[in-house]
Amino acid sequence: MIPNRAATTPDERNRVPHRVSTTWWTLGLPAVVLAVCGTLALAWRSELPEPLAAHWGPQGVDGTSSFVGLVLPVIGATGLLSVGMWAVGFFLGRPAMTRRLANAMAAWFAVFLAGVLLGVLAAQRGVADAAHAGDIDRALTLGAALATASAVAIALLTPEDAPHSTAAPIPADAPTVPLANSEQITWVRAVGQRSGPGIALAVLTFSAVLGATTRQWPLAIVLALVLGPMLIAELRWTVTVDRNGLTARSGLRWPTLHVPLDEVERAEVVTVRPLRDFGGFGLRIGLDGRTGAVLRKGPALQVHRTGGRVVVVTVDDAETGAAVLNTLASRAR
Amino acid sequence: MLFRIDPSAPEPLFAQLSAQVRSAVARGDLSAGERLPAGRDLAGSLEVNLHTVLRAYQDLRDEGLLELRRGRGAVISERAAQDYRPLHAAIATVVATSRCLGLAPETTTALLKEALR
Repeated sequence: MIPNRAATTPDERNRVPHRVSTTWWTLGLPAVVLAVCGTLALAWRSELPEPLAAHWGPQGVDGTSSFVGLVLPVIGATGLLSVGMWAVGFFLGRPAMTRRLANAMAAWFAVFLAGVLLGVLAAQRGVADAAHAGDIDRALTLGAALATASAVAIALLTPEDAPHSTAAPIPADAPTVPLANSEQITWVRAVGQRSGPGIALAVLTFSAVLGATTRQWPLAIVLALVLGPMLIAELRWTVTVDRNGLTARSGLRWPTLHVPLDEVERAEVVTVRPLRDFGGFGLRIGLDGRTGAVLRKGPALQVHRTGGRVVVVTVDDAETGAAVLNTLASRAR
Repeated sequence: MLFRIDPSAPEPLFAQLSAQVRSAVARGDLSAGERLPAGRDLAGSLEVNLHTVLRAYQDLRDEGLLELRRGRGAVISERAAQDYRPLHAAIATVVATSRCLGLAPETTTALLKEALR
């Protein structure tokens, strides 16, 4: 997947940047969170009933566990997820998007699991019998909110990709279009869901079912009002190739994928199998480290970017898009 | 949709743009309901004045090819995406006849332009 034609040496090209930062955010921070959580849990241990309430059903507590049986799985799960995210960021983290996702996910799981554990324990401090443990709904909500806030903050703190331009010519066998020196050219293409009414209907049905089953009608209505327009905008992307390079942006203009012209090594057409290559749809990271806006299966525009990065956008008429990108990049060299 | 303009060509830039949308619709590359890029985006991409793009869009709207709606951008109209097949067939006949008679392409287009007036 990594082009051999780049002017940089293999070592320089293959090096994954910001490995120290990735290691800190995916392993260091979760370790700190776990240490704080573990210290608190141990400090509270003498005030806790044995066995502890470990599961809540509609009628309150319906499952118990020992102290170790409750704490150990949380530590184990956080550790496993952190190591997994570390591996993603450490080995595949050439694009900032991959590092950002790995860092944010590791933080989210660590904070959420620690928060839930502390919430569960706090609800039964000073309680003699696990059956009388307090409610943990608020702890769950608070844990999720804290986890999301940490994930967003860490995503913002994740180092961006440094500009990495190349002067290497576009390979001669790459597709191009004829273009006069005085000409300006732009290729624009929309991709994704066109059926606004269809999505609206699906969201309304989902909200109605949710409202009817949970009786939380205000929540269901807010969800429909927010989710509907958001989905309609986010499932429709516009792909542009112009003098700035390749830009793929969703209807709300965020998220956006951008490859500057001077970082394009070459563009080509590939076939994308969303589930097999990217594990699903949306803004994705592939197992091979490619990042992509995957909105449907089939032909896609693939760009080899400097620094060993590969960006994929599923879009119709990708042949023209790739050819125009190669042509513009070639002219700018 | 591919947009290309040549500032060194004699044809005004807005006319170059609108001509490309017209032929893309006629070829079937653009279908009804499809959205053209926002004027600001296209102007930025092609390094032309926003008013150049808007002028092209307004011309296309006046011809009934585009619908310009506030907040929805420029959308290819239902009317624009009619069936062009009979026209393509007729053009093929014109081309074949013109070749058969050994006419210069300019002569044929001049005659066509004259007839369309």
